[in-house]
Amino acid sequence: MSSHAVAKPQGWGGGTSPLGTSHGKLFMWFFLISDALTFTALLVALGFFRHKFAEEWPVSTQVFTHFPFTHAHLPLIYVGWMTFDLILSSVTMVLAVEAGHRNDHKKVLLWMALTILGGAIFVGSQVWEWWIFIEGSADGAMRWQLIDGQWVEQVFHGANLKYNEYSVTPHYANFFFCVTGFHGFHVFSGVVINIVAFTMAYLGVFKRRGHYEFIEKVGLYWHFVDLVWVFVFTFFYLL
Amino acid sequence: MEFQDGFPDYETLAQHNDEAGVGVRKKLMNVFWLLLAITLVEVAIGWFWHDIKASSGLSQTWLIVSFIMFTLLKAGYIVMTFMHLGDENKMMRWMILGPYFLFAVYLIYMTTVTEGMYSGQKGHRDLLYPITKEAPAATPAHHE
Repeated sequence: MSSHAVAKPQGWGGGTSPLGTSHGKLFMWFFLISDALTFTALLVALGFFRHKFAEEWPVSTQVFTHFPFTHAHLPLIYVGWMTFDLILSSVTMVLAVEAGHRNDHKKVLLWMALTILGGAIFVGSQVWEWWIFIEGSADGAMRWQLIDGQWVEQVFHGANLKYNEYSVTPHYANFFFCVTGFHGFHVFSGVVINIVAFTMAYLGVFKRRGHYEFIEKVGLYWHFVDLVWVFVFTFFYLL
Repeated sequence: MEFQDGFPDYETLAQHNDEAGVGVRKKLMNVFWLLLAITLVEVAIGWFWHDIKASSGLSQTWLIVSFIMFTLLKAGYIVMTFMHLGDENKMMRWMILGPYFLFAVYLIYMTTVTEGMYSGQKGHRDLLYPITKEAPAATPAHHE
């Protein structure tokens, strides 16, 4: 061998980490991949049922037309507001991460508090939307239903897992509850984790540790929740 | 090359000083305004879709394709900027995105090309969920 065949440092040669990242962040990413696949499955199933029940499927923009404190017909505005709120809380989260990179204790606390607020507003908004969806309209919808071999005319109000006034198929309401509920629970747990992170930051745990990586990991989860909502917004509400 | 016994302190690798922070924050805010603008455009398209459709004659496919494009654009910015995947090294990026897309594409393939093509027929629905909007043509025979 000639003299120039000196081994260049290779990623897999040992002595360095090929992924160049810490264990905590890496495993948060692994968790997020599996979670992302769960949501992908839910949304693909939604698309499949939509296609199969294309005739019965209602237009979501005609279902979600309510806005608090008004009786005006405002399709998409409330969901648009929820999207805005979640994107805003995502920005405050990423600013908390950025402040953590500068070891700026006070700014971390400020942005984390605002992120928790934004998340709580989102969960509250979703509760309101579920309430309106389950309560339904005063008029309801007239339906013929087969009960014990007889077709009976009935009025359906709102929605449950079996019947809903928006569509003759229960799948519409089922997917609403399933997809937004699964996402909503992620937001709820995200808010809880954010509160834990805020408390730890407040108690000075990260100051003593010398880095705010915990905030970064929590941030990954929180941005993931926002990411999923972007897809839910499109595939459930817009299309 | 001298063999290194300890790994670098990855927890502190992303740290930066106050001057660098100004640029980082500016970039983050730009992404925020972009995401907000895309969302507003989406809501506007959804709101005015019937007018757009009537005046331009575009088909529903255009709506679906454009919404999916907007969504993927937003998702890309969230993952690459907010989740800092764009700042990770190349191997890390592929390790996260590769397996996800492999399974996601296969899942979509299954539901649209293979399994989805023969699951269930239209006629079976009424037996499972006997609800209709219109008065049914014939009342099924029932036992006295």
